[in-house]
Amino acid sequence: MSVLEVRDVTKQFGKLVAVNGVSLAVEAGELRAIIGPNGAGKTTFFNLISGFFPPTAGTIVFDGKDITAIPEHRRVALGMARTFQVTEIFPELTVRENLRVPVEVAAGKRLSPWMSKADKAKAAARIEELMEMGGLGGKGDRLVGELSHGDQRATEIMMSIALKPRLLLLDEPTAGMGDQETYHITRLIRRLHREEKLTIVLIEHDMRVVFHLADRIMVLAEGAVLAEGTPAEIGSNELVQAAYLGKAA
Amino acid sequence: MTQLILFNVFNGLIVGAFYALMALGLSLILNLSGVINFAHGGFLALGAYIAYTLMPFTGFWGALVIAPVLTAIFGLIVERFLIRPLYGRDPLYSLLLTFGLAYVLEDGARYIWGAQSVPYPIPAALTTPLSTEYFFLTGYRLFMVALVGIAVGGLFFILNRTRLGMRIRAGTLDLETVSVLGVNVRILRNLNFGLGIYLAGLAGVLAAGMLGLQPTIGTSLIIPSFVAIIVGGLGSLPGTLLGGLLIGVASGLTTVFFPSATEAVMYVMMGLVLLVRPRGLLGEEGRIQ
Amino acid sequence: MNAALKDQQANAIVWALLLTMPWWMGAVGGYTELAIRVVVLGLAAMSLNFLLGFTGVLSFGHAAYFGLGAYGVGMTIKYLVASTPLGIVVGVATGALAAMIVGALIVKLRGVYFAMVTIAFGQVFFFIAFRWNEFTGGDDGLTGWKRQAIDLGFTKLDILGSDTLFYYFVLAVFAASVAVMAILIRSPFGRTLVAIRENERRARFLGIPVDQHIWISFVISCFFVSLAGTLYALLSNFTDPRALRWDQSGNFVIMAVLGGMRSFWGPLIGAAIFVVLQDWVSSHTENWMSVIGVFFMLIVLFFPRGVLGMLRRRATA
Repeated sequence: MSVLEVRDVTKQFGKLVAVNGVSLAVEAGELRAIIGPNGAGKTTFFNLISGFFPPTAGTIVFDGKDITAIPEHRRVALGMARTFQVTEIFPELTVRENLRVPVEVAAGKRLSPWMSKADKAKAAARIEELMEMGGLGGKGDRLVGELSHGDQRATEIMMSIALKPRLLLLDEPTAGMGDQETYHITRLIRRLHREEKLTIVLIEHDMRVVFHLADRIMVLAEGAVLAEGTPAEIGSNELVQAAYLGKAA
Repeated sequence: MTQLILFNVFNGLIVGAFYALMALGLSLILNLSGVINFAHGGFLALGAYIAYTLMPFTGFWGALVIAPVLTAIFGLIVERFLIRPLYGRDPLYSLLLTFGLAYVLEDGARYIWGAQSVPYPIPAALTTPLSTEYFFLTGYRLFMVALVGIAVGGLFFILNRTRLGMRIRAGTLDLETVSVLGVNVRILRNLNFGLGIYLAGLAGVLAAGMLGLQPTIGTSLIIPSFVAIIVGGLGSLPGTLLGGLLIGVASGLTTVFFPSATEAVMYVMMGLVLLVRPRGLLGEEGRIQ
Repeated sequence: MNAALKDQQANAIVWALLLTMPWWMGAVGGYTELAIRVVVLGLAAMSLNFLLGFTGVLSFGHAAYFGLGAYGVGMTIKYLVASTPLGIVVGVATGALAAMIVGALIVKLRGVYFAMVTIAFGQVFFFIAFRWNEFTGGDDGLTGWKRQAIDLGFTKLDILGSDTLFYYFVLAVFAASVAVMAILIRSPFGRTLVAIRENERRARFLGIPVDQHIWISFVISCFFVSLAGTLYALLSNFTDPRALRWDQSGNFVIMAVLGGMRSFWGPLIGAAIFVVLQDWVSSHTENWMSVIGVFFMLIVLFFPRGVLGMLRRRATA
């Protein structure tokens, strides 16, 4: 069964049609990449899925449930987490405090005025586990705002993982990073995909990352689907080369 | 009864016009610079007192022309030295600063011109009733409505037809882009502030003739102006105008039937608007953040 | 020195000063009533700061709930039952109920718009107090009532007869209130509030219904500010519409800023400085408004982080 099924969604801003009748089905355990030239509507499409704003037309089904009209925080509760193109974290808090918020939310404690010793210990252990997994070991007491770009991104991804999502949406996870950092983040994503069996949809500009990670690729151009297929199919698709790779060169 | 209702509606319209004039200035500053100018009422009082001081030398008409300009110049100076350092900081700070400034302006007026209301002469030509049946239709009242109309028309002309105005509107939508395009944002904000204060000064010169001139004249108008902005619509100047007139007329009507709720009615309206349409009647989407 | 130890030291100093205040207040030129005012307004400023400093939401209308508490206690004692605790309960319930309603109307707004609407709504209660003469006393204020001795069963607390006893009564209420706020700030719920302050978008996409959490924070904050309002009225056996006017709201905000919004005790320090300054200025000049106004401007321009913010910065520099 598809974890995520987007049917024919359209988003209009005034006269501008940013996303035009796009459909997408993502299977459990799949890693799907969305590529396309600038202004193709990739981030708008992401914002529709995650509930940043509602679509003008179309439906979005998550885990068999129509979520088109429900607010973002309830989508998160249903198991959908996302990161942003420009890292969204709590810069003036430490790594540990950044992670503690989603860990406690995931434990159903967001309204609790109090926590038992056992719960506290459980949360602390979970935070350490997440830091380890994200390669942030030893940086727990550092302010996130003072970390490198790559570590900030890793923190943001691990905050999403803390929510135990069934679907992870990553908006350009390696944007603005050097080779070393790109390598770390790519490895982290692959690990989450292969070892944690997480279903992931990501937008990415770096073709090395895309072809290295993706099971399937969707190409958007001018708000519509240009092509869809395995990396091999997309790599040899002439339409894609002409419209996308040609433009990029 | 009809006469009484008409009288109060008309009165409400005039008071609403003052709210609108004041709220338009507040809106201009709020939309472009994100500053709630709590001292706006203080500037209004200042405009009125400057006019009062000038009148023996220039007469009413001269004061009407000069006083708002002097008030605006004072506004430019205040913006340059007190408010400019606060752009880019939490809006809390500019609110607190103008709050303090409001204290200083009110107290300053009391110190210079006294706590009691001062006589504010209006040209005799304007005070005679124009109709025996509708006694409240004095020349001064019609004149005020007309002048507020002209001022609002002039404001919209400046915003839509002049380079400064178009830059202000563009800056309201996207200040960063305007700045990249080579507009000096500091000067733009300065002039925009001056424009807003000009409107406050003008409102002061006019309102003093009707409400009487004492140091607290501005304070009593400032919070209804906030209500006008919220009711009319965040980010929308036509909305602000509409909001001001609406709450003015509503208060006027309430005076007839339920006098003790004269002030309360506008807050009830505000509550209803927030309940049904949080961005206000003509507010732009996404402006509530 | 680690942070936890530093916190404990700060707590110890604050409590030692508060517990002994009636003894040294006279020696430094003050009087017991001034000490009570510091504690009461300190509670109000700390309550405001629960919302302002720890949720990142600016309310400029907290005087309304402060005033509702004040009128609630006064009118209960005057018209219903001559009981101080019951009056406090009614006052706080009135303030909190009003906050629930107003909060629901404004919780979608943010930033300057939130501030503006809170100012405007504050005025509603001012006009009610001002206009409803027969019960509130209108502009002259609510007089003709006194705080009542509290019957604890085994003994009677004569808080009316002894200022010192009343001080300790107020301090006990203060202690309970700030303890609750401190626990909340350190709880998972409190951490969601700080998360909203730090980055609202991130908080939303971590599954936090931000509007709901801000509403709760607003109501908690107003609850304690109403409580402070009841104490304020009990102190002078009087209240008037100025207790809930916008200038009082501004005073609360400046106290929080002056002491340091990001620290727990900051607003108490701000309140102490403000109360003493206001007391001194109003006895030395008629133009106290100008002095306070200039004071506001100077703080904003030159001292925006407040006393504790400056100290902390110096310590880390």
